[in-house]
Amino acid sequence: MNTSYSENSDTDRAAHIWRYTPWKKAHPTGKISQIPSADSPILSLSMSDGSEVPTGIRVEEATTDDLLRLGHDLDFGDGTAAPTFIAEIVPLIYVLRVDAKTITEAPVILSVKTSGSTCACRLLLDICERVEIELVTVLEGDAEWCGFLREGSFGQASIVNDVVVHVTGKRLLRCDSIRSNRDAQIRAGTVNAASSQAKVDVRHWLPEPGASLQVNGSILAARKDHLDSHVEILHSGKQTFSRLEWHTACGGQSVTTGTGMLRIDAGAKGGDAGQLFHNLLLSDKAKANSIPELEVMENEVVGCGHGTANGPLDEYQMFYLKARGFDEEQARAALIAAFLNAPLSNMGSETLHGWLINRIESHLSGL
Amino acid sequence: MGEVALLEINGLQTSIDDTEILHGINLKIMPGEIHAVMGRNGSGKSTTANVLMGHPDYEVTGGTIHLDGKDLLEMEAHERARSGIFLSFQYPQAVPGLQVGNFLRRSVAAVRGEEAAKGAEFRSTLKEGMNRLDLDRSFLSRYVNDGFSGGEKKRFEILQMMLLKPRLAILDETDSGLDIDGIRTVAEGIDAAIRGTTSGALIITHYNRILEHVKPDYVHVLINGCIVKSGGPELASELEERGYDWVESDAE
Repeated sequence: MNTSYSENSDTDRAAHIWRYTPWKKAHPTGKISQIPSADSPILSLSMSDGSEVPTGIRVEEATTDDLLRLGHDLDFGDGTAAPTFIAEIVPLIYVLRVDAKTITEAPVILSVKTSGSTCACRLLLDICERVEIELVTVLEGDAEWCGFLREGSFGQASIVNDVVVHVTGKRLLRCDSIRSNRDAQIRAGTVNAASSQAKVDVRHWLPEPGASLQVNGSILAARKDHLDSHVEILHSGKQTFSRLEWHTACGGQSVTTGTGMLRIDAGAKGGDAGQLFHNLLLSDKAKANSIPELEVMENEVVGCGHGTANGPLDEYQMFYLKARGFDEEQARAALIAAFLNAPLSNMGSETLHGWLINRIESHLSGL
Repeated sequence: MGEVALLEINGLQTSIDDTEILHGINLKIMPGEIHAVMGRNGSGKSTTANVLMGHPDYEVTGGTIHLDGKDLLEMEAHERARSGIFLSFQYPQAVPGLQVGNFLRRSVAAVRGEEAAKGAEFRSTLKEGMNRLDLDRSFLSRYVNDGFSGGEKKRFEILQMMLLKPRLAILDETDSGLDIDGIRTVAEGIDAAIRGTTSGALIITHYNRILEHVKPDYVHVLINGCIVKSGGPELASELEERGYDWVESDAE
């Protein structure tokens, strides 16, 4: 497949990936033939505890060799327009390098500070073998439109908690194409706290035996937000494991969509995959769509399941909290926070969890 | 003037989905008293507990309820909790995502005020309660009732009672599903929270077992939504021996 934007810009409106957010709506100008110039965000690394970033972790401009080694072919099937578009408009390509056997105690924070009318970033992940880190990528700043493309791999036997937090206030297009190598244990989280319009397309590939992946989403949608997330996990290696759990709290007149696709290739014996979408509907005008899908081409799998649950706040939980002195507003706020907190706590350590809570707490009042 | 009753229920009638469950309950609990209500399944015991707490599913169609002289029926559930009513639920709700420690602190702040939820006194009461109820410190970082065993749920309810220091504790079948040691532990918790105070308790149970540990001052028998017999603690033993048929016959 040709993976240039010009060959893929004319998207199929009926294709699953564009059904709820047409490419026109995700494109910065709405005119899909336009390729606007984009600013590059400012990237900076820090540690959550204020300590110095270890020398084995750095972010720098990518070389041609990095791109050849870590860049993917950006074939997202029907969704190819989005990653190829970002790849085409980025002024710079960055690489995040984490040397083999690097182990950190505190979470590493990668700030991606956006600005201007159109801002785009392509980031290659070069996470080597036997790394043990927690990485939080924070998409922040005030760009009117932000495009963020991540590619790369988690090295063999690495243990990585990788969370991307959306706190850009405006429009976001994010595409991930990440490979988890042999015996890698990955927890990948997405937290949407403030982006008002987001189209997220996250693809994970487990091509080697023993890789384990947990994908968690904690999505806060308020006002007239329009948030559309697609997560695809491809099991190609034997004895691979994945779980996807996506929680969305929908308030105001927001519209959210969560689609999941779990694929188990022929030959991926012992594959084990499951996905669950939970939507908490907080107003009569909020809408939530969830479409979990499976494609299992191998007979010898451990299991492959999917499910979705939608509903308002549980009245019995509300009564329980009221019986403990919480008034209506306190009980409601506590239950919404709890709903979003459940996947947050699965994204990593208690330290990471505490950091995430502090970072998004102020946005809960928007519900 | 005589002492004001801690709880006074007069002619309480309650319906759910247009079906009347309670047909005129009268009950008076004075400060410092422990009362027990016994009865068969479906007799209205849990309905009484839920109505006292202000569950929205139940409609009060007649009668009055006063706590320390204040009209309880005028209050929302959270106002009742803040006035001193505590219900230990028969089936406590799980709230995944809400940590026990955080929940306890916020609950104490809501019921007893912000000052009571911080500082050394809160911490020592919490530690003492957890020791007494044999709850490990790691319990605080778990989610409320999420994945708890039956015994853990009941002990957690009692821990909340100890921290909230209610005027009236209503224990809805807190003994069900507990083993012998669990019943003793829970009974000690009830004693520690209520005995020797001006608070009171209403213990709802099927069995005499828990009442052997927490000696009630009065025992009432509820049949078909009415209290048909009241007596001392010996009534509980008699019910254990003879069942409910004789009380029903007497009532008729």
